[in-house]
Amino acid sequence: MSEHLLDQIRQSKPVAPAELRERVRELGVARPAPEPFLARFLQRRFLVAVPLTLVVGLLAVGVLTDLPRSDGGDTSVAVGGSAGTDEAEKARESSAPSLPAAEPLQGNADSAIAPSPGRLQRVDAEMRLRVEGLEELSTATKRAMRIAQSLGGFVASVQYDAPAQGIGGANLVLRVPTPRIQTAIAQLSALGTILGQRIGIEDLQTSANDLTDQLVENQRRIAQLRRQLASATLADEERAVLQARLAEERRQLADLQTALRGTRAEGALATVQVSLTTEALAPAAKDEGRLDRLGEILAWEGTALLYVLAIAGPFVLLGLVVWLALRLRRRREETRLLEQA
Amino acid sequence: MTLPARRQPAQLVSFAATAEAHLDDVYGYLVYLTRDRSLAEDLAAETFEKALKLWRRFDPRRASARTWLCQIARTTALDWFRAEERRHRREHAVAVPDVSPGDMPQGLSPELEAALAGLSAAEREVIALRILLELDGDEAARVLGISATAVSTRLSRALKKLEERMTVHV
Repeated sequence: MSEHLLDQIRQSKPVAPAELRERVRELGVARPAPEPFLARFLQRRFLVAVPLTLVVGLLAVGVLTDLPRSDGGDTSVAVGGSAGTDEAEKARESSAPSLPAAEPLQGNADSAIAPSPGRLQRVDAEMRLRVEGLEELSTATKRAMRIAQSLGGFVASVQYDAPAQGIGGANLVLRVPTPRIQTAIAQLSALGTILGQRIGIEDLQTSANDLTDQLVENQRRIAQLRRQLASATLADEERAVLQARLAEERRQLADLQTALRGTRAEGALATVQVSLTTEALAPAAKDEGRLDRLGEILAWEGTALLYVLAIAGPFVLLGLVVWLALRLRRRREETRLLEQA
Repeated sequence: MTLPARRQPAQLVSFAATAEAHLDDVYGYLVYLTRDRSLAEDLAAETFEKALKLWRRFDPRRASARTWLCQIARTTALDWFRAEERRHRREHAVAVPDVSPGDMPQGLSPELEAALAGLSAAEREVIALRILLELDGDEAARVLGISATAVSTRLSRALKKLEERMTVHV
């Protein structure tokens, strides 16, 4: 191709007519219409992607770290009214079997749930402690008994088992005044390494209030019957009926007083079951923080990603093929259009 | 004619300046592509209207303003070709084939004008981009949506064809 021809093409470059130039200038001073919000938002994908990734990551951390741990000691607390008793029983049953491989807990009185002051409550607690050897088992058992007595309570039962060889253990049931349960737990916790503990609190105040109300009403009725019986004009038959009612009310009074005493007694003393063992600790699980579980979280996310890929992969591939086909078709159409033009 | 003296946002002034700077390039490209000066005028105006709407998305790091404008111009022209094709198809039974020699730029020798008119739009546009606008291979490839090698091949064939036609005319 001669340079002359190329120069001729270059030199004959079309110049936009004045009318077009004017139209374009007018455009230049016009304010462009704002882009739709969605388009602007999607244009800055990282504004969506980054917070979304953070939220998903944080959720994953939150979910995984809140999952119940299969190992480790347990510290459970059951608090409730009458309905709470069943739950406490279930919890007690579930925690009753042999000692699991557990990590030591640093329990203390502050961490224990305390009964509400001023309310009548039934409190029962369970503690599982590990001691070093049979000698310490004996010492700890004696100290546990002394703790109960020093706090104004007593030892309800003791089972002590110290074989010449093997694992030794002691089970104590202690009764201590409810207001001093926290002190008792704190002192008992110091006897060994805590393997697990459970505290159950059941409110008895409502029952006591009901019984008191019934008692007051019963006494009011008794006083009324006495006044009626004191009347001199009372017929013999009426007197006999009133006396029978009075006897019934007195019997009810005695029952109510017994029930109220029982309820108050239940609330007055807390029950603490202490299990001491010399069983060696299983290798303690490393106390992992949230960041330490990063590997687990990443593995979980990787698995989730694999699932997504396995499910979405074929669709993505299909979409890619369709997109490529459409692109090819458009290219061909453009070429054909330009060839024909 | 000068722009009004009122204060303009930087991006807006920049668009005006860009449009002013590349108006002839876009127009020349469209004249070569369509062989019709009045059509090229309309398409150029449409191109700049679109460009104004898309101006916020223009990223100078990805392509020069001229390349970007030529891409928009090409899309606009292709849309017009498609519309024309549909119109022709609808009017197929009564349509008279368009045999007009076209409306090439002034200043060309009659032989070169005739030779250019004999090329396809695809061939004319590669000449326009590479020779007339002096875009480099990569820029032209970006406008045409093909590889730089394909641009070289297409340009080579177009020039060869142009030369052959020139020889025939001479």
